[in-house]
Amino acid sequence: MLSALILMPLLGAALIGFLPFGMTPKLSRKMALFFAGIALLWTVVLAIQFRPSDVSQQFAEFFPWIDALGLSYSLGIDGLSLPLLMLSGLLTCIAIYSSDEAIGRPRFYYSLLLLLNAGVAGAFMAQDLLLFFLFYEIELIPLYLLIAIWGGERRGYAATKFLIYTSVSGILILASFLGLVWLSGSTSFALQSLNANSLPLETQILLLLGILIGFGIKIPLVPFHTWLPDAHVEASTPISVLLAGVLLKLGTYGLLRFGMNLLPEAWSYVSPILATWAVVSVLFGASCAIAQKDMKKMVAYSSIGHMGYVLLAAAAATPLSILGTVFQMISHGLISALLFLLVGVVYKKAGSRDLDTIRGLLNPERGMPVIGSLMVMAVMASAGIPGLVGFIAEFVVFRGSFSTFPVQTLLCMVGTGLTAVYFLNLTSRAFFGRLSPQVMNLPRVSWSERVPAIALAVLIVIFGIQPAWLVRWTEPTTSAMVNTYSAIATLSLVKAKSKS
Amino acid sequence: MTSKFRKHPLAEYVDILESGGALLPDSPENVLEVVGILKSYGVVLEAYYKNLIYFAEHQFLIFFPFFKYFNGEISAKKLLRHWWHDRINFEYAEYCMRSMLWHGGGGLDTYLDSKEFLGISQAVIAAKFKNNPIIMGMNQLFPDFLTEQLRVCTYYSGLGQFWRVMADIFLSLSDRYDQGKIKTISQVVDHIKAGLVENANKPITYSVKIRNKVYEIIPDSVGLTFLADTALPYVESIFFRGTPFHGVVSYNAQAYQIPPDQSRFQYGALYADPLPIGGAGIPPTLLMQDMRHYLPNYLHEIYRCSRRGEDDLLVQICMSFQKSMFCVTTATILGLMPHPLDTQDQDEQKANRIYLQKWLDRLQNSRLQDVNTPSVKPQS
Repeated sequence: MLSALILMPLLGAALIGFLPFGMTPKLSRKMALFFAGIALLWTVVLAIQFRPSDVSQQFAEFFPWIDALGLSYSLGIDGLSLPLLMLSGLLTCIAIYSSDEAIGRPRFYYSLLLLLNAGVAGAFMAQDLLLFFLFYEIELIPLYLLIAIWGGERRGYAATKFLIYTSVSGILILASFLGLVWLSGSTSFALQSLNANSLPLETQILLLLGILIGFGIKIPLVPFHTWLPDAHVEASTPISVLLAGVLLKLGTYGLLRFGMNLLPEAWSYVSPILATWAVVSVLFGASCAIAQKDMKKMVAYSSIGHMGYVLLAAAAATPLSILGTVFQMISHGLISALLFLLVGVVYKKAGSRDLDTIRGLLNPERGMPVIGSLMVMAVMASAGIPGLVGFIAEFVVFRGSFSTFPVQTLLCMVGTGLTAVYFLNLTSRAFFGRLSPQVMNLPRVSWSERVPAIALAVLIVIFGIQPAWLVRWTEPTTSAMVNTYSAIATLSLVKAKSKS
Repeated sequence: MTSKFRKHPLAEYVDILESGGALLPDSPENVLEVVGILKSYGVVLEAYYKNLIYFAEHQFLIFFPFFKYFNGEISAKKLLRHWWHDRINFEYAEYCMRSMLWHGGGGLDTYLDSKEFLGISQAVIAAKFKNNPIIMGMNQLFPDFLTEQLRVCTYYSGLGQFWRVMADIFLSLSDRYDQGKIKTISQVVDHIKAGLVENANKPITYSVKIRNKVYEIIPDSVGLTFLADTALPYVESIFFRGTPFHGVVSYNAQAYQIPPDQSRFQYGALYADPLPIGGAGIPPTLLMQDMRHYLPNYLHEIYRCSRRGEDDLLVQICMSFQKSMFCVTTATILGLMPHPLDTQDQDEQKANRIYLQKWLDRLQNSRLQDVNTPSVKPQS
């Protein structure tokens, strides 16, 4: 059942890319949307059948692959991966729908988008470290090409930088995975069979370091973040939507699944450092965002700041904070996707994202009143205004983390205030006041350009008002994760005390 | 032209006006826009003036005139339409009336401060509230209150009478255009000028009926006339001065951007920025919304073919309206010329030129140069 989420986009990619006849740009787009839509629908079906109270991996699939390597094709989903799969499916559909109808080399483009979707879905479902790594790497190639071919003026630079960073990330993750398996004496890469608790703490910390830096590059955490603003600025709007909405989540998902879950003792040992690292990321991201004049770059730096909240909550590792990590991932996925979509529309119509150039876009007649209103809502959500999903996510993160790391949590809350500062700056400069001469004769915004943004805005409001719909899928899994983590962390503490 | 004025940014317009041209360049597109927009304006003005005169005659000295926009025809259907806002924005007419009242000027303003008016107003108030000792007592305590209300009613009537004439002028202009008799901007200006001149001495009067007795609030004997006592104060108040409301012209009172002297105000129709039109709380938006319903098909088609289609319809209407107002201003300027345009007398020519220079000096910060650049561009 789960394989369909990988096979469906792969089949679509193959048909669009290799079918020798009749594949017009319009048909390519429709087919891509069809296959992505089927995959999303299938995820919804799985979500309906998903038993939230069952904390084990559900709909599991297992096929031995290369026994000699200990590699198996093992898939499964739980309350951590299911919301992310839904997010990935939704944002892929939105990215395809928002892609320029007149895009060059459409067959290649849509094939790569579907391939990316398959890679991400596979990574979220993989129950084998090596299989995860394969999907993690598979997803890099289409993303690199999507930036390098359909990106902006400096796309070559941005794509290469992205590739170098994420390759290093991959190497570190692979090294940690290999170390984990070999040093623990396991014969398989299957997640269930791994037990690193017998390893000395120093070794665990070393392995965790690789995972932390590897996924830290992907999230990205300061100082490994420099690829992200470049990649966002050069990537086209749909790719930015996927990059911020889904791909960064691979990093935080990896930290929780492989860092906290597999190396709880080391995790508990380094968690104060992680919380401080989160503070640095949040405040640095927010400070850089304040200094930006390019709207897209501002949203990109905002992403860096907001992903720091996930690290804070993961470091705290309380039942509420781990629930907060999932909430924050979903919230950030929806909000950042919306922000990038809206900035994309502004750029497409105004030809600029420069806050010194653009002014007055909320003008009801000559501006973009709907886009402007959605932008105001999106920045409110990002700044954590109650009634929107951003508030719920940040509240749960801070409430869950405060008991463990009060100072770090308070400092991260300053980041929320800074979010309001830079986003108010963005809206007041770009959307209020009199239309600047450069944007006085903007072309009209069509409903097809508004629909994806409206869909995301509706979800942001729904989950803001009714967060329980998300909690019921996730909470049992995150609680179980924390219980296991706490038990092992406490045990190791007792061991350490008895030794001393 | 004086050497000083030659450096004036609008110096060329003196030559244009002297040679019989208008403040708006002559082109088939401009003629179409101006006539089309004046047609819809004429229809709207007709509705406005009927309501103003209805108010002045039937709602005067009513403290809570809940049904003032119903013109005496109150029905559940009309009430629902009113609440649904599917109606003419009569509020705009009141906004203009208040502007005229505030800026004053002309014989009407002078008359309303005269002893004659005060005497009449007290008689009207006494008749209206004959059986209402509370109000009469209040009138003794605050004698200016009801008198001021009557002044407001008088302006309702004055503006209504002015717009009745203007609506006819604009609608007949459209009829003549449809008949193929109007082909140039100069002909548009001539038509308006002829209308103004024809009605220049039309008397402005105002009377109300209380218990079958007619009270003449502006008797014919006062000698108020259309051009001097309503048209010119209207042009001054609405075209030139206006009021500094937020949005149409950016202003900051705390930075002393609003002149302390009302006569130096430049917030009128000739100066207004059309871009904020469409926003809430901006009076011209109401007028543009009303005109939108009565656009002739040929003009609507041009707007539809523009870059944003109907998305910025109100702004496009406002831009066309501003062009048309420069035609009306041209007609007013030419109509009030001290000497005939084609005079050969050098002294008269000089007097004419000084007169024109004064007008153009006032238009220096207006949108004259903006309306002289094409605004409605068909989509390529």
